[in-house]
Amino acid sequence: MDKDLKILIVDDFSTMRRIIKNLLRDLGYNNTSEADDGDTALPMLKTGKFEFLVTDWNMPGMDGLTLLKSVRANPDLCNLPVLMVTAEAKREQIVIAAGAGVNGYVVKPFTAITLKEKIEKIFERLEK
Amino acid sequence: MSSKETLEISESSYLTEAYMKRLQSLTVAFESRDEAQISEIVGELTTLRESSLYQELGMLTREIHDAMSTFGNDERIAQLATEDIPDAKERLNFIVTKTDEAAHRTMTVAEETMEVMDSFSGKADAIRERWAQFRNRELSKDDFIQLSNEITQFFDSVEPESATVNSKMTEIMLAQDYQDITGQMIKQVVVMVKEVEEKLVRLVAISGLGDVSLTKKEVISKSSDGEKAEGPQLPTADKEVVASSQGDVDDLLASLGF
Repeated sequence: MDKDLKILIVDDFSTMRRIIKNLLRDLGYNNTSEADDGDTALPMLKTGKFEFLVTDWNMPGMDGLTLLKSVRANPDLCNLPVLMVTAEAKREQIVIAAGAGVNGYVVKPFTAITLKEKIEKIFERLEK
Repeated sequence: MSSKETLEISESSYLTEAYMKRLQSLTVAFESRDEAQISEIVGELTTLRESSLYQELGMLTREIHDAMSTFGNDERIAQLATEDIPDAKERLNFIVTKTDEAAHRTMTVAEETMEVMDSFSGKADAIRERWAQFRNRELSKDDFIQLSNEITQFFDSVEPESATVNSKMTEIMLAQDYQDITGQMIKQVVVMVKEVEEKLVRLVAISGLGDVSLTKKEVISKSSDGEKAEGPQLPTADKEVVASSQGDVDDLLASLGF
């Protein structure tokens, strides 16, 4: 897997962004940027040539589900792999996220191993 | 309650008597085919019916009025609205700030510790490599003297660097002191919320607007909208509705072909 992969981390809590950033660095991914909601993230995604998106769902401004839908609706971004890392744990919500085209879904609180597994699984499937 | 019942009984027996009297006169009027009399009695019956309705309505209004004014006179409610609730909001905001600070402080120190440990194991790695060369007789005399100096330096650094890591661990532990303060504050807010809950239940009972015993499930199903983020669920949440672990999430996604 390409360790130079350009990753955007979107979460309204700076502590959570920092945790995800640290875990990704531990996994060898150092090329990360941060945004605090969908409204900030979307313009970054459009110009930043990101290769992977890790986003929360519940955020002020544009939430993660809307961001996911906007990504899938944009011809330049529609193939971007998206991992949702969120506290939203209702079955109904997970089904909706899956329907909107999420590539992986991690519920908070999560472990470093879970995050690693999900990321690896996403890229394994993409390489197939 | 008992005085109200007695009142109702005496009123209803008075009403029965009044109705009976009118009905008897009505029978007499029918027998004598006195149309004027019939229409007069029917009119009286209607008035009787209406006035009893008005009486009941009046009683109900008085009851509601009394209950509402007791409720309105409760100074505690005014205090809750003007002092306790703003105070609770402030406390909750303080808790957000405090936990945020503690998390960042902990992460900063953890990152610094990792740096110390990285450089420490880096130095040990370099020495081990050179030591292996020495054991294989691949090191010149000058190189050995240099290695020997490096080893001395490394040993000398063990103690101060351990002390650094130790003090950083202590700092991480101290950063957890937020739990004490925020825990106490959350408990205070819980007490306040409980009081508001009791008052609200009373208000609902007085207004007769709804069934207070409405089950939690009914309330939740009414407010549910799958697309809307709801934030974390309680660990006690209904397992049929909420995925309780990452394993549950994975199973659900697998069932959808993921």
